[in-house]
Amino acid sequence: MEADLDTTISTADARYRQYWEEMPCYLSIHDPEFRIIDGNRRFREDFGDRIGEACFRVYKGREEVCPSCPVEATFRDGRSHGSEQLLTTRAGVEVPVMVHTTPIQDSLGHVIAVMEMHTDIGEVKRLESLLERSEGRLAQLFEEVPCFITVQGPDRVIQHANRRFRDTFGPAVGDYCYRVYKHRDEPCLVCRMAQTHADGQLRDHEEVVISRAGDKLNVLCTTAPVRNADGEVEAVIEMSVDITQIRQLQTQLTSIGLLVGSISHGIKGLLTGLDGGIYMVNSGFEKGKPERVEKGWEMVQRNVDRIRGMVLDILYYAKDRELEVVDIDIAAMVAELREGLEKKAGDLDVDVRIEFANDVGSFPGDPQAIRAMLLNLLENSLDACRADRSGGGHFLRLAARRTPPWLVVEVEDNGIGMDRETREKAFSLFFSSKGVKGTGLGLFIANKIVDKHGGTIIVESEPGRGSRFLIRLPLRARPSTHPETMTDSAAVPATAETDV
Amino acid sequence: MNAAAALPCRVLIVDDDPDIVDYLSALLEDHGFEVRSASDVTRALAELRRSRPEVVLIDVLMPGRSGLDLLVTIRRDPQLADLALVVITGSDQVLEDDCQSYIGSHNGLRGPDGVLAKPIHPGSLLAVLSQLTARVTLG
Repeated sequence: MEADLDTTISTADARYRQYWEEMPCYLSIHDPEFRIIDGNRRFREDFGDRIGEACFRVYKGREEVCPSCPVEATFRDGRSHGSEQLLTTRAGVEVPVMVHTTPIQDSLGHVIAVMEMHTDIGEVKRLESLLERSEGRLAQLFEEVPCFITVQGPDRVIQHANRRFRDTFGPAVGDYCYRVYKHRDEPCLVCRMAQTHADGQLRDHEEVVISRAGDKLNVLCTTAPVRNADGEVEAVIEMSVDITQIRQLQTQLTSIGLLVGSISHGIKGLLTGLDGGIYMVNSGFEKGKPERVEKGWEMVQRNVDRIRGMVLDILYYAKDRELEVVDIDIAAMVAELREGLEKKAGDLDVDVRIEFANDVGSFPGDPQAIRAMLLNLLENSLDACRADRSGGGHFLRLAARRTPPWLVVEVEDNGIGMDRETREKAFSLFFSSKGVKGTGLGLFIANKIVDKHGGTIIVESEPGRGSRFLIRLPLRARPSTHPETMTDSAAVPATAETDV
Repeated sequence: MNAAAALPCRVLIVDDDPDIVDYLSALLEDHGFEVRSASDVTRALAELRRSRPEVVLIDVLMPGRSGLDLLVTIRRDPQLADLALVVITGSDQVLEDDCQSYIGSHNGLRGPDGVLAKPIHPGSLLAVLSQLTARVTLG
């Protein structure tokens, strides 16, 4: 019976010994002096038969106990301990391991030895560092991608923002997207971000947003859902590409297109006028009708003048040059223009009235620009008289007076006048009420010149009664009141703001 | 020229540009037409009733009521509807299309009998007029 028990015990022992030997990790037993008193097969394979040597020497090639040694801790408190360690095999290979210790007690409960189990975590470590690297790469991508990226929760609070976004819109994280992107105090009326949150769908839209510095940016914005492990939308990622330059270019191109269209339209009218003049001159000579020759020649002259004016306007429009400000004697300038004006007006039977106050004096301005502005307004008034066939008695009045801080110039006529629409659009680029005879540049440029001088221009007009342009120019040089209208981008309005 | 001289064809020019009016008047008179002119739609309607022209040349873009407006008014008037109407436009294709769709929006009204684009080619104008007025022989 006893022999049976012994056999049973020895059989069980042998079986456990085999388990111990075959465990797929390093197993070793340490005495209180840190000497290894036993080790399994894998231990022997990788570290050699080094029973009796100190563990710190065997495992790490050290001459003293390792700091925060789990074996020491278990001897001290009788509990299990664990930590990550890096072992070096006898072949010099470093093996990252997870260490667990277990106390071995005698019948009185004293810790007489400690069993240590080292599990090779090389694969885990490799995956971990791979993960770390790819996370780092992702973070770097997120940070450095050349567009604005934010992640927002359902509460519209920005959880993450990339570097480009932070540089342009400020720190942002923790703030509401509408506040950061649009300087609004409440959510946008249509919120694509919220829509994507609700239905998980991708959305593209165009936005006008405002940077920290107050610049308006046109952005192409895509919202996409960020889902959790259960597939629920947890947040929304919003990526915006700055297309401001593209939009500006588009505006300029549209503007150029309109200009080209407007010019060719204008040239057609001028050609008809020239054709007419030439026909009248030729047929007048042929038929011996001197009055027809004279009329035809006037038509030719008038249309050549118009071509000249149009070319000047186009040049002025095309080249947004800086003002060259000098003291302008307005009376002297008008005296220069007077002869040409009276000739043209005389041909049309329009009475020219020039009313200058004695003290009108001078004001700071760019002579070339002011002359162009006056000519545009005067030509406009003459055209208005010419177009009015209600009978004679037309006049064109040019007046100037000093009303500090302004020099006030008036250009008045009793021509056809303007209806409300024409009046309201009078200064718009490419708007013309003159059919083929207008390019829609003249009054736009007149207004631009006055504005550039820091002045204002208003028009009073009624159909059938004539028009009065009232120009105020500062007597002391001052900047434009609408610098943004000087950018020539009047043709296409910016995209309307909707939401982010 | 002979037939025209015997029975001149009356043309009304409606254009707000005096240069165009003078030019076209001279051109057409030289080719035997009897020409009247009006600078806007209201005057044109008065002149139509007064001088009863056979052909009306209408400029599309005029201040106030447009040439197309005049065209529709004429076509709707039973006494004037049969007049030969030639529309003169500043920009050919665009306004020609506009012209057709404008007329189209007025319940099956007959459109213009001819459309000419500026700059007006004298030969084209005279050719259109000769087609419209069989009585006129061009000289």
